[in-house]
Amino acid sequence: MTAVNGRPVAFVTGAAQGLGHATALRLAADGFAVAVNDISDDGRLAALASQIGGLAVPGDIADPDAVTAMARETAGHFGGVDVLVANAAAMEMGPFLTQDPRTWWRQVEVNLSGHFRLIQAVVPHMRAAGGGRIVLIASGWGVIGHPNATAYAASKAGLIALAKGLGRELAPQGILANAIAPSYIDTEQLGVDAADAGITLDEMRQRYRELIPTGQLATAPDIAAAVAFLAGPGGSAFVGQVLQPGGGVTRTRA
Amino acid sequence: MSTGADPVVAITGAASGIGAATAALFSRQGWRTAGLDLRPSTTDLSMTCDVTDAAAVRSAIDAAAGRFGGIDAAVTAAGYYEEGIDVCDITRAQWDSMLQVILGGTVNTCAAVLPHMIARQSGTIIAISSELALGGSATDLHYVAAKGAVLGLVKSLAAELAATPIRLNVVAPGPTDTPLLAPDSLWRKPGYLATLPLGRLVRPGEVAATVYYLATEGRAYCGEVLSPNAGAVI
Repeated sequence: MTAVNGRPVAFVTGAAQGLGHATALRLAADGFAVAVNDISDDGRLAALASQIGGLAVPGDIADPDAVTAMARETAGHFGGVDVLVANAAAMEMGPFLTQDPRTWWRQVEVNLSGHFRLIQAVVPHMRAAGGGRIVLIASGWGVIGHPNATAYAASKAGLIALAKGLGRELAPQGILANAIAPSYIDTEQLGVDAADAGITLDEMRQRYRELIPTGQLATAPDIAAAVAFLAGPGGSAFVGQVLQPGGGVTRTRA
Repeated sequence: MSTGADPVVAITGAASGIGAATAALFSRQGWRTAGLDLRPSTTDLSMTCDVTDAAAVRSAIDAAAGRFGGIDAAVTAAGYYEEGIDVCDITRAQWDSMLQVILGGTVNTCAAVLPHMIARQSGTIIAISSELALGGSATDLHYVAAKGAVLGLVKSLAAELAATPIRLNVVAPGPTDTPLLAPDSLWRKPGYLATLPLGRLVRPGEVAATVYYLATEGRAYCGEVLSPNAGAVI
């Protein structure tokens, strides 16, 4: 691994809030030097970078030039990239038949194609260091689907297939790619979901709890722990796997 | 953890291989360990016990819970392996024994441990299955069938207990470098290892690390299968 004063380097996209934010905090606590990305910096990204002694690299994952620039800046600043956490995501719910193609492509561009290009930009650094880890944040909806979220689910299912293909292709080079498919997480997104549904946050939490066998929403630190496991020493035999810390939401999959 | 003091793990098959590596890791992390095995194990409470004997398992688990004040995690790693037997050549005795040890041992351990966990409304059980149960195999059908049955057992128990704080999950390792794999095992041959994306056997410590992660940070997993398998099944 690359060493920045002995610390491996992690790059987390979508880190201004929610589980990307929690993941950056966790990886920093576990000893990583962390570069944090989000689509723009409204102050939260810089604050996070400052808090963890990391680097803020704002930019739109869907923009190929921005992706190249953020990868170059991170590698230049830290001397390499050892771990990529592909977490940034766009989601827009709506009925399939009336979905605007632009909303379809936006979700596919951010969630899947943008990360594809980012992986292309960082893998040479992992190769140069003799190995690395790629953790793709997919979704339980990418495993079991969800009504009115077909574009999001398709993009996330694409990430799962990407993790499997990358796992097979890169493992011989010591680069281990895996995915995590969370389900309902208690993050800022719940407030967006509640507003969309026209109900209160507590009502939204309760509605989601009823969909979870355990009745418990996962927390952002739960998912961050899964990332830390896959990115850390314990994850060294995982290749192309999909961790599903969703309280059993996807348990009934085929 | 509800025991107040250092948490407690009970491990079947603790004397060798994955069970021993698991006991060693939990011990290094400050857990108190109880081992159930046909042979003595390097644990804080080593009990010789045949996991096919439900009463013996119950006694051993009760003894561990009594000694330590409860059981926070149980790991079912007891098992053995036979390969190179065509389906028609698997004897009734071989079939029965394999099912009794791997499936019956897991059932007996769950049945012994769960009353303690239910009473305290806390605990986690992690069963060791195999990637062969996910991907199928040849000439070891009794082993694969038994490991597959463990998946069904744990997923159903997880569903049954989902509304409680007790969690049950499975770790399904790939071929692991333990004494279970004979020196001339198919799974050690370079031709087979070359088919694995990682190109090598899984190490017992890698399976133990997965178990430890589930036991300590796995509260959001319910009836899941984690696969440190070197890419054997993707």
